[in-house]
Amino acid sequence: MSSTAKNAYLNTRVAVKATQLIGVEDVRQLSQMTLHELGQHFGLDQVLEQPGSARLKTRAVEQGLIEILLDDLAVLVRPMRPEERGLVLAWARKYALFNLKTLLRGKIRQLDPQEIRENLYDLPPQVRLSNEDLFRTESAVELLRCLEDGPLSLLARQAREIYEKRQEAFALEAAIDQRYYSELARRVTRLGDAKADRQMRTLIGSLVDRANILWLLRFRFAYELPPSETFYQLVPSPHLMSRQRLLDLVSLESQVQVIAALPEPLRSLLADADNLMESQRRLSQYCYGIARDVLRHGRSGVARAMAYLILREIDLQFTFTLIQSHLLHLPAPYVDLALGLSPAICAHHWHEAA
Amino acid sequence: MLKSKAMKHVRVLVLREDLPQASLTLAETESFHPDPRAPEEQRLAPLVDCRYQGEYQKARSRLDKIAQVIPVPEPDLSEIRVVNLEELAEVNAWLGSAWEFCLEHQEGFRELEENARLLEEQQAVLANFAELNVDLGALRAEKRFLDLHIGVVPRENVSRLEGALGLAGHMLLKYMERDGNAHVVIVGPSEDGASELKSLLSSAGFTAIPLPHGLDDSPETIQADQRKERDRIDRERADLQEEVETCASEMHDKLVRASTVLALAEPYVTLDPAIRSAGYLASIEGWVPVEALPDLERRLETSLHNPFSLESRKPREDERPLVPTVPVRNRWLQPFAMLVKQYGIPRYGEIDPTLLFTITFVLMFGTMFGDVGHGAVLGLLAWLFRKKLGRFYIFGVLAGISSVFFGVLFGSVFGYKDLLPAVWMSPLYNPILMLQLATGWGVLFLTLACVLTIYNRLAIRAFMAAVFGAHGIVNLIFYLGLVWGAVSLAMTGVFGVIPAGLVIAALTALATYNWAHMQAPIGEKILVVLIETLETVLGYLSNTLSFLRVAAFSINHVALMIAVLTLAGMLGTVGSILMIVFGNIFVMVLEAVIVTIQVMRLQYFEGFSRYFSADGREFAPLRLRRRPRAA
Repeated sequence: MSSTAKNAYLNTRVAVKATQLIGVEDVRQLSQMTLHELGQHFGLDQVLEQPGSARLKTRAVEQGLIEILLDDLAVLVRPMRPEERGLVLAWARKYALFNLKTLLRGKIRQLDPQEIRENLYDLPPQVRLSNEDLFRTESAVELLRCLEDGPLSLLARQAREIYEKRQEAFALEAAIDQRYYSELARRVTRLGDAKADRQMRTLIGSLVDRANILWLLRFRFAYELPPSETFYQLVPSPHLMSRQRLLDLVSLESQVQVIAALPEPLRSLLADADNLMESQRRLSQYCYGIARDVLRHGRSGVARAMAYLILREIDLQFTFTLIQSHLLHLPAPYVDLALGLSPAICAHHWHEAA
Repeated sequence: MLKSKAMKHVRVLVLREDLPQASLTLAETESFHPDPRAPEEQRLAPLVDCRYQGEYQKARSRLDKIAQVIPVPEPDLSEIRVVNLEELAEVNAWLGSAWEFCLEHQEGFRELEENARLLEEQQAVLANFAELNVDLGALRAEKRFLDLHIGVVPRENVSRLEGALGLAGHMLLKYMERDGNAHVVIVGPSEDGASELKSLLSSAGFTAIPLPHGLDDSPETIQADQRKERDRIDRERADLQEEVETCASEMHDKLVRASTVLALAEPYVTLDPAIRSAGYLASIEGWVPVEALPDLERRLETSLHNPFSLESRKPREDERPLVPTVPVRNRWLQPFAMLVKQYGIPRYGEIDPTLLFTITFVLMFGTMFGDVGHGAVLGLLAWLFRKKLGRFYIFGVLAGISSVFFGVLFGSVFGYKDLLPAVWMSPLYNPILMLQLATGWGVLFLTLACVLTIYNRLAIRAFMAAVFGAHGIVNLIFYLGLVWGAVSLAMTGVFGVIPAGLVIAALTALATYNWAHMQAPIGEKILVVLIETLETVLGYLSNTLSFLRVAAFSINHVALMIAVLTLAGMLGTVGSILMIVFGNIFVMVLEAVIVTIQVMRLQYFEGFSRYFSADGREFAPLRLRRRPRAA
């Protein structure tokens, strides 16, 4: 298949799949449905009807939704070129990293192996870590040593060195997240400079930007790390948050100054966000806006496929939130908060909201 | 040999306390394939107490990891006995400490490797600084106003570290790159921010390179010191290795015990999914070859002290896809059985294609690659390398013998026609006859494939599929009618009324059957039935012609060898010898590979795809593990 034919094929597949995406209005409608109706709507009625605790059902639903997303991914990456496929799979590898973090936390806290196993996602081979080998290890360091023999050797080596030196789970997980976004930024930078590749850069760049701003605000002002260490944890983005901009921002002394110094449209977006959760909500909306734009007007099949996967993921997260809220009998205002339908508020105001 | 062994579904009811012994006995028979399906009786439930399984899994995992560091001996299975939970837990605890010991030593080796690496980096640093007029000794000393670090950092962290250091008032200078690491010098004021810098360097994976004492000595003295350091590391490594070996020999007996205990505990754990219990009673279900059933019952009677019940029954029709198929055990057919397994496992009750595959493979290979010399070399090489090739050497030997046999028929020895008079004739003397024979072979092969398809469907009582399905009876009638008509046309110039009648009747029957069984709008029905009928005609025609390659390759072999010998004849003595030797090697390697691929293609696509469903389950009986898992 020629590259034009592949692009046309991918665009067609994305166009067909995009018809199943849900919009904000749909979310409002779905939030009014009962658990049974939701199960039927998303084909999860069998999972929900099985006997078991709410926790088990929640877990099964989450696993089922991840499978839906990764099935879509498996179909879409097939016609891509190796470097494009590598980028999309690198994005999806976050689920493998969730598993890795679960394993690490379990090993650090010496949890029961069965308990750790129950919290691992069952992933397809393309994004999976060799869970069984990792599972057999008896400590976090041994686990990371084991991982050093595989494709995540660099990430594992650095995470182990950091953990051996500092013995902090936080440093370990920050290193894993940092490597994940660095890998995305590195792969997207290696693409060409055609318009299609620039769209991909904007799309992936917006994800890296979101992570950077949240980390910057959290590390600098919540954890009060010095500018140098904060900068080291950030990832120069191929979109708005370039290396020089990050260097300038980490030196500022307050959150207000940082937001005022952000480039547009991020400055206006975060201007009156009064807490980190609200900033996170708005940044997520910003990323999804870019993804929707690429999906509608994009020319590259790969960028549109990536945009579709990002939007599909958020849809499935909405679905999960809705089903979980039913299973846990959460009040509606909490659900609206979790769905991002109402502005985020500080945790100590939640009770009032409810 | 063509039909898989008859199997029975077996249910053994034992007291729960007898479960470990029953598992061991079943494993000893090596004829019990566990069936993990939920039983029909609602009261039977999976075992709840999983402590045994948990201890076993941990212990097995530890033993497997230990085997990667020190050799783990084979289990001593001279006495088959039940392993209780306490013994298993004790072995697991000991394996835990043994693994800690291995881990410590692994870390020791890693530390020494790291020291060796640092020494190399140090040498690289000194070599790099050698041409500079800098007092390196001064770099070692503590400075009052200057904070100086020399070391390595992963290459991909340099840019971020440089930026971060700038914010901390320090400068980073990269002066060299080696093996994914960047050698850097970090300089800055020393008055404050020491903890910030330390934390930052640690996050960036910075490793300081210690500069040796006495840097004002001569280069020879420094090099001698470094040699000493390298010798020290080598010595320590050898000491550590010796220590590991000593400890391994000290641990030998305990490792044998651990290995034995785990081998004896394994059947019970493996059987776990097939065990259901209610109160004091437990049920184990599985599949057993009919011929092995009396022995299994006798052994259970001997080994179990308490009463037990063994019920067996024939597999039900709906269970057929779940019944395992016992693989071919014949030594000579083993390599061919492996190739068949690559395609799939025959479903229970189906014809096992291994014997047929072997015969047709060997025949087609010899026909396409008939040469006494080449066949002898191929067979000899397979024999000489039998240890490396394992059971696959038989494949090479049989292929070689077949080549020799057809070489004798064709009168070809390394391409020479004069050394051995042909018993029959060279393929090139009458290519048309060769092509006719190949077509005839194709007709025979496809007919046989259809017959097997029909038999397999009848065996599973799929009568309609046997008659009207793809490659069923109606298809076979059509094909034979077509062949009859074609032969008649070639010999008399007339297709013939009877063959034409057979072809038309068969196609009409197929079209009617397809029409009746399709749920679609009328337009789509017409289109699909037309296309499928056309596909049947074209499919059989092209599949038959596909066998022309058998003749084509036998002719191709002769032609290639003629080319080699003609080229050799155009050269001088030495050139001619070299041409003959290398030409023969070239032809042999090229054709052996291509012919194997072509024969496999014919077998898989023209044969297996017709009569072999390949979705069966392999018989995997419970057995005692007599060797440790490969590291």
